[in-house]
Amino acid sequence: MDSLGNTLANLLTIAWLLPLFGFVVQILFAHKWGRKSKAAAYLAIFCIGTGFVCSATAFYKWDKQAGHLVFKEAKPAATEVAEPKNDSKAEVTEEAHPKKHSGRQTVFSGTFYQLAQFGDLQLSLDYYIDSLTLAMFVMVTLIATCIHIFATGYMSEELVEDYVDHQVHSHDGGHFHRPGRFYRFFSYLSLFCFAMLGLVIAGNIFQVFVFWELVGICSYLLIGFYVERHSASTAANKAFIVNRVGDFGFIIGLMILWTSFGTFNFADQHVSDGGVKPGLFSMVTRDHHGEFPKSADGKEVVLTTQQDGHGAWQVPPETSPRKTIAYTLLIVAGLGVFGGCVGKSAQFPLQTWLPDAMEGPTPVSALVHSATMVAAGVYLAGRFYPMFVPEVLLVIAYVGCITAFVAATIAIVATDIKKVLAYSTISQLGYMMLGLGVGGWGAGLFHLITHAFFKSLMFLCSGSVIAGCHHEQEMPKMGGLLRKMPITALTMLVGVIAIAGLAIPGIYLKFWSFVPYLSVYEDHGYVLSFSGYHSKDAILATALAYTKLNPLHFLLFLIPLLTAGITSFYMFRLWFYTFLGKPRDQHLHEHVHESPWVMTAPLLVLSFFAAFCALGGEHHGSLFGVLHHSEPVHVHHGFEAANSVSLPSHQAIEDSHASAGQAALLAAFVGMALSYLIYGKGVVNPDEIQRQASGVHAFLANKWGFDDLYDVMFVKPAHVVAKFAAAIDKFVFDEILHTFVRMGIAVSKWDRKFDEGVIDGIVNLMGNSTHSLGISLRNVQTGKIRQYVTFIAVSVVTLFVLLFALYPKG
Amino acid sequence: MFSPEVLSNLIIFVPTIFAFLLIFADKTAVEFMRVWTLVGTAITFALSVALLGTYAPADGGIQQVVAKEWISSWNIYYRIGYDGISLTLVVLTGFVFLISMLASWGIEKHVKGYLILFLILETGVMGVFFALDFFLFYVFWEVMLLPMYFLIGIWGGPRREYAAIKFFLYTLAGGVLMLIAMLMYFFASASHTGNGVGSFNLLELAKWAAQGNVFSPGLQVAGFILLFIGFAIKVPTFPFHTWLPDAHVEAPTPISMILAGVLLKLGGYGIIRIAYPLCPYGAQYASYALVAIGVVSIVYGAFAALAQTDFKRMVAYSSVSHMGYVLLGIAVWKINEVTGAAEGANYWLMGMSGAMFQMIAHGVSSPGMFFCVGVIYDRVHHRDLNQFGGLAGLMPRYSGMAAVIFFAGLGLPGLCGFIGEVFVVLSAWNFSKTLAIVSASGVILTAGYILWALQRVYLGPAYKGPHPEAITPMNSREQAIGWALIVPCFALGVYPNFVFDYTDKPMAKLVRSLDEGYQNTPKPHGDVQTTQK
Repeated sequence: MDSLGNTLANLLTIAWLLPLFGFVVQILFAHKWGRKSKAAAYLAIFCIGTGFVCSATAFYKWDKQAGHLVFKEAKPAATEVAEPKNDSKAEVTEEAHPKKHSGRQTVFSGTFYQLAQFGDLQLSLDYYIDSLTLAMFVMVTLIATCIHIFATGYMSEELVEDYVDHQVHSHDGGHFHRPGRFYRFFSYLSLFCFAMLGLVIAGNIFQVFVFWELVGICSYLLIGFYVERHSASTAANKAFIVNRVGDFGFIIGLMILWTSFGTFNFADQHVSDGGVKPGLFSMVTRDHHGEFPKSADGKEVVLTTQQDGHGAWQVPPETSPRKTIAYTLLIVAGLGVFGGCVGKSAQFPLQTWLPDAMEGPTPVSALVHSATMVAAGVYLAGRFYPMFVPEVLLVIAYVGCITAFVAATIAIVATDIKKVLAYSTISQLGYMMLGLGVGGWGAGLFHLITHAFFKSLMFLCSGSVIAGCHHEQEMPKMGGLLRKMPITALTMLVGVIAIAGLAIPGIYLKFWSFVPYLSVYEDHGYVLSFSGYHSKDAILATALAYTKLNPLHFLLFLIPLLTAGITSFYMFRLWFYTFLGKPRDQHLHEHVHESPWVMTAPLLVLSFFAAFCALGGEHHGSLFGVLHHSEPVHVHHGFEAANSVSLPSHQAIEDSHASAGQAALLAAFVGMALSYLIYGKGVVNPDEIQRQASGVHAFLANKWGFDDLYDVMFVKPAHVVAKFAAAIDKFVFDEILHTFVRMGIAVSKWDRKFDEGVIDGIVNLMGNSTHSLGISLRNVQTGKIRQYVTFIAVSVVTLFVLLFALYPKG
Repeated sequence: MFSPEVLSNLIIFVPTIFAFLLIFADKTAVEFMRVWTLVGTAITFALSVALLGTYAPADGGIQQVVAKEWISSWNIYYRIGYDGISLTLVVLTGFVFLISMLASWGIEKHVKGYLILFLILETGVMGVFFALDFFLFYVFWEVMLLPMYFLIGIWGGPRREYAAIKFFLYTLAGGVLMLIAMLMYFFASASHTGNGVGSFNLLELAKWAAQGNVFSPGLQVAGFILLFIGFAIKVPTFPFHTWLPDAHVEAPTPISMILAGVLLKLGGYGIIRIAYPLCPYGAQYASYALVAIGVVSIVYGAFAALAQTDFKRMVAYSSVSHMGYVLLGIAVWKINEVTGAAEGANYWLMGMSGAMFQMIAHGVSSPGMFFCVGVIYDRVHHRDLNQFGGLAGLMPRYSGMAAVIFFAGLGLPGLCGFIGEVFVVLSAWNFSKTLAIVSASGVILTAGYILWALQRVYLGPAYKGPHPEAITPMNSREQAIGWALIVPCFALGVYPNFVFDYTDKPMAKLVRSLDEGYQNTPKPHGDVQTTQK
């Protein structure tokens, strides 16, 4: 029997590669099935659905080994939790250090195949499976399956030979006609799923980068799906290029890691001679105070590259050669990798691409630009957490904090329903980064998962609204849709409550104890709340604990708290604006209809998870427990630093929990109440506020001016430099060459004159004299043979005499 | 099967034989001559693949197959052989000529002359890759020059004479520099050959250079500068690159494909095969400058590409940028200032291998890009980037293929362009942090000019330029070329060992011997190291 590691690896590999298979089949053959065929969609759903089954199975198997965090034991008495056998594949490594449940493996790693090897440097495609990987796999495949199903309905108008794009006008002023591209959409979706899952399963940071770029190109293809629309192709370019700016940092990080550590692998690797090569996470370790082993002058971090008898990595003794990395370089490397995360997760200052990315079809926004790809930056920050030093974490925290706030303020004034959600996504991603930055590893990733569910739900709801309203996205034209599309409205409300973090404290809920095979949740005084409450609560609690330790950085708690209120405000604004009140556009309203079941069923599924996936919060909740299982060891105790940034321990976070939770809840309620007064009840006319504060409104509506600023700072200068470079070629290098050539021609002209005047003169002179000589010699030609023979004999003798006279002696 | 000896010679001379027989062909039998030439290139390609199949590197050394005395009084031999480095390039050459021949179907003018020159060009290129005698190398190098001159000058675009002469002058200048360096080494080696006459044997010269005490540091520096400029013109690197855009723009599509796919590689190959092994001291002496030139080429080429409005010119500048990675990868030779030993030699090896891979990858993606330009140029007869648009709707298959090929050029993972670029960049940090950072910024600019071009050409609602009626889907010949380019794009990108399996050992050997050569060369007294961190 295979060991658990191999089973997990095989299952996840199948889940990962199936969408690729789907993509290849679709790209090669789908056009033969016809434009009206839904076969491509069914194939894509089959691939990702099977992927979900594989992921869930893997998760179940892992859960059984990890001690039934989620699923109940089938037979209470059974003791099947056997020690994993580690025999069949040599490459399955047991990670030594993050071992919290003694004897149980927490990480399974291995190699798919090797890309290249240079001496002892090697690059390969690996896998690294821990509970975070598994949770991400289940989340991604589940959400992707829902969205695929939703998209079969949403994209069904592409199932035609002649699709009319109302947003593009042809030369004659009419609408643009083109063939439908239903199958193309699903092939891109499949490719994306492959890339995203590859990013999650990646066992080294280089491989993460590979799939990082691939999800980027899928995002490009999907944003630009309506290639005829100039806005769409521009948005696609912007997304890719802005991401590349982040990747520039990522590459610098990679270069430092590669040169300093000589490996990209997260986990340790067995090498062919039987030894073990330490992975990145093994080389950077901290003592139980959270301090790095440092060189004598304190500037270099000594890498733990030697294994002791128990397999733990430690600093080699003074006498043996040590590998070190300058602490500053470790900071730069961390910031570089985080730079990539900033681009991918649309963090300040690279957040500008994500709102534009809403040009893509709504299922894309739900899958790529809210739940999965944009969360990849957060995922990587979490995955790479052991490599981040406190200074880097501080930067992460501030970036997250600024992003959360800036995006939330813009969301207040946005009127396009998708744009509101886009800004909300940016803001929530900022929360996650903040959570990671203040030392809440579990909190940040917890929010990643919960957010994925409620945000994809809300995007699909908005898609349902948009489809129902015949592609109207402006909220001022909607209103009163609750009656017309109740399922959409109510599922959306679930999402809104989840993201706002509303809760009713003190309600005991026991119904999940009736759900078979789910662990028993005993009464712990739960609040009635949806997923977002728990995860946001966790982040704010960590932030509060952090600011208690580092009073200088008090804004890291206050701003997110304020933002929590703003979030609640604009999300309820969206809901009230769209679903309540009187219809503002009667014509539109009359034609609105609820979406068909293929679109509403995924909403119901997602709303279930948006509501309940975080059940139990971070104290006893299974989701948090699962994630917590993979937490880097050093996080638990926090880090007390004398002259740098301190990180809170779990105990400190726990102590802050109650007060942070209450403050957050208060903020959320205030936000909701304000929103209700303005948009639900209409106590104050929002247009009036807008007029009163027109300057602020214009500033926010202009997205704080980032686009204009970047245009002036980067885009235009780049074009100027480009023109300059081209001009140098034309007017400098070519001019130099032309000058040389002109000089050459001038010289040759002079040469010609010299030739004709001087040399030819001499030659002609010689010619003339030869001629006259010939004429004089004519007399010699007598035609008499005897005379000729005499001439020849004399000549030959003369020649021989000359020869012997002149030949060098000796 | 044939022995490697026969195979190598056949690979060099089969094109010439086909060209010779073509002389007797009827001038009007155009289709026959095309097929005939196609068969010739196909046979050459098949033979090169067969040779690759027989190659089994034990230690990565050169497999010398033929050494026949040619001009004995000058110690000149017909000496050919190969290792993984030249062999992969030979296969690339066979491949590029084959698909370029397929792309030559549209040539209507003086078909016979075109095809004969085309085949002679192939012989010249193959000869350069096989030559192990410096003189023979030089001869093949010049053999290559003339057909190319005529192919651009006769079958080119409106400014073809200008472009052809520019190409000719640059390459000739490079050849002259190489000739001088060759003679310098010939005379310097006279005391070591035994018979008092110098040597043109590249293997022998390299061996002596590695011994360190044969060629003086001064000779190595001077020789390296001459050789480097000679080859840098061909690569081309900044600032010797301005012949390239003109040559590309004026050359007919298949010739552009060959120029970008193969001829530029000769420069990189010359640096790897001749300039470095013969002058390890000079190469190390100049390393900082070389890396800087490589980095400047990357960034400068990308910026210049961004500014172009001519589709083909943009692709030509992208070649300058992409070939910058080749030089960068070769040059990242960092030494310990005290001992003179290579520091982080594995990173340098990675850079070298990355450069090698980049040459192969660019040899696939760049002809692909020129082919894409050619397909649309054949239809609408203009190349103005601002007068395209909407091709994705009009020619979906072509646009899809073009997207893949351009993404390969952009360095997208999974396609061939990625591996070379990223390996080279990763290896650069060990040499110089500043230059490594500048080189990494290339990823942004590359994405910028490629995506912007794609948007202007393929996306959008409608085609904006002249001759919209001429836009027809790709024919089957064009599709075959497209597929032939796309398959290696994926194969190399997903499994780079298709190249590394052959180049690993020779590269490791090269790095070792260069390292020895530098350490063994007696340093001039009071020598201030110009290499920096």
